[in-house]
Amino acid sequence: MIDNIIIDGLAFALPMFIMAIGGIYSEKSGITNLALEGLQGFGAFFGAFTAVLLMQQFGGSSQVPYYISFIAAALGGMLFSLVHVLLCIKFKANQVISGVVVNILAAALTSFLTKRLNESIFGKTSNKFVLGTSIRFSVPGISGIPVIGAFFRNVYPFEVIIIIIAVIMWYVMYKTPFGMHLRACGDNPHAADAAGIDVNRIRLISVIISGGLSAIAGMSYAYSITANFSPDIYLGFGYLSIAALIFGNWSILPTLEACLIFGFARSGGQALIQQLGMPSTYNDIVRIIPYVVTLLLLVFFSKHNNSPRALGEIYDKGKR
Amino acid sequence: MKKILIKLLGGEKLQMVRISLFSIIISLFVGAIIFIAMGKNPFSAYGNLLQGSGLLMKQKYAGRQNMFTDFMSFLDTLTPMIFAALAVAVALKAGLFNIGVSGMMLTAGFIATLTVGYSSLPAFLAKPLVLIIGAVSGALVGALIGWLKYRFNINEVVSSIMINYTLMYIFTFFINTFFLEPTSRQSIVIADEARLTLVNVKAFGLKFCIPLAFPLAIIVAILVRYLINRTTTGFEIQAVGLGKKAANYAGISISKNMMLAMIISGALAGLAGVTYFCGYNASIRPGVVPSMGFNAIAVALLGCCDPIGCIFASFLITAISNGSIYMSSQQGVEIEIADLITSVILIFAACSEFLRMYIEKISMEQNDKKDVKRV
Repeated sequence: MIDNIIIDGLAFALPMFIMAIGGIYSEKSGITNLALEGLQGFGAFFGAFTAVLLMQQFGGSSQVPYYISFIAAALGGMLFSLVHVLLCIKFKANQVISGVVVNILAAALTSFLTKRLNESIFGKTSNKFVLGTSIRFSVPGISGIPVIGAFFRNVYPFEVIIIIIAVIMWYVMYKTPFGMHLRACGDNPHAADAAGIDVNRIRLISVIISGGLSAIAGMSYAYSITANFSPDIYLGFGYLSIAALIFGNWSILPTLEACLIFGFARSGGQALIQQLGMPSTYNDIVRIIPYVVTLLLLVFFSKHNNSPRALGEIYDKGKR
Repeated sequence: MKKILIKLLGGEKLQMVRISLFSIIISLFVGAIIFIAMGKNPFSAYGNLLQGSGLLMKQKYAGRQNMFTDFMSFLDTLTPMIFAALAVAVALKAGLFNIGVSGMMLTAGFIATLTVGYSSLPAFLAKPLVLIIGAVSGALVGALIGWLKYRFNINEVVSSIMINYTLMYIFTFFINTFFLEPTSRQSIVIADEARLTLVNVKAFGLKFCIPLAFPLAIIVAILVRYLINRTTTGFEIQAVGLGKKAANYAGISISKNMMLAMIISGALAGLAGVTYFCGYNASIRPGVVPSMGFNAIAVALLGCCDPIGCIFASFLITAISNGSIYMSSQQGVEIEIADLITSVILIFAACSEFLRMYIEKISMEQNDKKDVKRV
């Protein structure tokens, strides 16, 4: 049972973690990003569409569509994040409003396009792209160890991809000049500007990065939890990841802890229901655990929060 | 081009209204392009939207139906939308972004259904009771969000989303376990006595519904406008929304006014909830958050956060979403296109502040040019 909690918890927590990293990139540069929810959905749509197209070419058993779909998803998410960029940076819209608008647009656009594409290309009326769940693998040797071995058993390939990207992203954020510029833009854009950094360019890049990363998360959920792309993908995981990054105080490693807490709270609850042999309707009670845990954690921790100082402020050169 | 823009959108008088209209027209134009790209005639498509909402005559009607019956059912969907938009607008006035309208609606609907909907109270008691219970339970959720905001400094957007999903799953559990009607997969239908819409009224050879709460929605909108623009309380709420530090310096309590705004907003959302779940619908579908709460954000923005503006904006957005069923059947296009047009309207509405600044800038440039010529 503990093994199952670990396996399912990781599969849920890691995509959330990568999405939260995306959020951190955007928010550290000073752009509030509530659009994560929409970005992951649009990314998943784009990736799933590519995967379905490629599955016809390669046949069902090939693993090529799986990996290409993640690249496609990231590209789709980056592309769609430009809407947020356009509204926030070019048109100086309120960033919270822009985020919500992007989410609404993503939901409307993807469900429209999914139906449309299904009809025109595949000749069927359906509002989903069926993907099936991804294959899993176990690391030989280590996976045999009790409890700890569960971290290496039945692993989705995307979890490995996510860990690799997360390490790179951590390095970029804290060890490179770009990362430092990015953090400067979120704390004091005017100082950054005076130091010769193009604030809007840095913000543009970081929102695009967050689009790509959330899209990978969306694609992972499409390949694991929902096993297809449909409008059901908008379950609020994007908002959960925002809560995770706030709990993690806008830095990457504490955010990982938050994501793991969500993941294990979720899978632990589900395992408990199964163990006690309760009817499936009780699953709904378990589903509230991540949300309630988030709220409680926020109650205890948000006092000590120090968000990026210029978060949510439109950068205006003329303003002091 | 610039001159036309200045002429159309410049000046102080009703500028926000004109900018909103401008963004609507542009969005409808974008929508028309989508229709053309799909090989449909945009005019007949938009016409179908209006026909579906009972604002234009359809070619033919089924028995006991005509434009009036369509219009009445349009008002039936419009009522909760007005309340929901008002809820968002009031919170925005205090600088709070109430994304929890959906959760508040569900709470109000669920509690009213449970307490009054399944009781056998007579109509004259049940209907007012539904409204009161709805408003109170919505206000409680609003108070919770406001309390979390000022006591623990939790961003209201994050907390209200968490609360939305928490409430939704709790109610889903209760509905699925205790109140499920197996055939419809929804909660058991409430008693007609408690329903805020009179359904299947037969008169003049027609069969239609009467949304009893619609006049209330209009009255509440006027009251809210009075409260915001004409009373000290409203002034304080606005001051908090415009600048917390300045408001605090002027001796206005930030926490009190934030709480108050969230409570009012919650009560309005609660009214939206009961008119939606115990009026327009008579049952609750488990497992979904009503999308109206999110669309209401859009509507409030489009209505420039003004209560009267909200009525007109609700009118437009509801006409699009309500007419989309008829349009999709007539034109053979996906029903989702209505949502798409709505979200395009939203994008342009979100840019309205930029547009206003841009107009100001170019009109100043034009004036400068004139001055140069004169010299």
